[in-house]
Amino acid sequence: MKILVADDSKAMRMIVVRTLRQAGLGGHDIIEAEDGKQAYEIARAQNVDLVLSDWNMPEMTGIELLKALRSSGSEVPFCFVTSEGSDEMREQASQAGAMGLIAKPFTSDAFGDILAPVVA
Amino acid sequence: MSAIDEFEEAREDLEALLIEVLGSVFSEEAMPVWDDALPPGPIVSSRLAIHDEVDDSYTMVEVRTSAIVARVLASRMLLTADPGPDDLLDAVGELGNIAGGNVKSLLRHSCRLSLPLAEMTDDATPADVDGVTVRAAVLGQVVELTVHLAGDIEGLTWPGSASEEVVETPA
Repeated sequence: MKILVADDSKAMRMIVVRTLRQAGLGGHDIIEAEDGKQAYEIARAQNVDLVLSDWNMPEMTGIELLKALRSSGSEVPFCFVTSEGSDEMREQASQAGAMGLIAKPFTSDAFGDILAPVVA
Repeated sequence: MSAIDEFEEAREDLEALLIEVLGSVFSEEAMPVWDDALPPGPIVSSRLAIHDEVDDSYTMVEVRTSAIVARVLASRMLLTADPGPDDLLDAVGELGNIAGGNVKSLLRHSCRLSLPLAEMTDDATPADVDGVTVRAAVLGQVVELTVHLAGDIEGLTWPGSASEEVVETPA
């Protein structure tokens, strides 16, 4: 399984990958992107199986990334990992086609609860 | 209610927010402190703005801590024994981003959050701003969170902007 992790912070990308492992969801190919635009290009070129994306990033936000992917016909499972976890943002994420939103700071349990159904 | 009164009313929530964020990112217990100042020496700070488009105001969220704490944080986040200056800025920038996102969820739901700007300075003197500062100790060192109205957002950048161009890229 190919998992794309998009976040403009290298430290946060590493924490996301580590937390996946701690949640028992490790052992997959991880591809990293530093912003939404790079994530879009990777997702389109490499047929990733899951996208874990920050919301606020340079070049292209996470919600713009999700909408761009859906507009291009991609139905890849998409989950936000972001510092903003308000009901309004969760609703916005859901309406755009995200499977969930994990708010920072997070626990490995949060990863397991939301991602286990799609991470084999 | 003025913005300052609003921040003051949220002081306990801001303290709890800072403690929760520090406890999570450091995997250490964080404790509230009230009178402790940042130690002399290099300071690493992260600031970001929350823009309210209704009244065109900017709420600034700043996190400041010593370079010692920044080094420990970067070391733990990046799993490296010898983090470089960019690693310190990345780690404290992300700490500020997490704090800023949570402050936005607490106080400014429908507003826009900037990207964090992290810097290292030699001056531990806090800026003279009209706002609320809460402090917590982690690993015996102080971390400050300040929320205030901002007149100057110079240097900050905003997320997004290239989506149209990318959407038009042929699949």
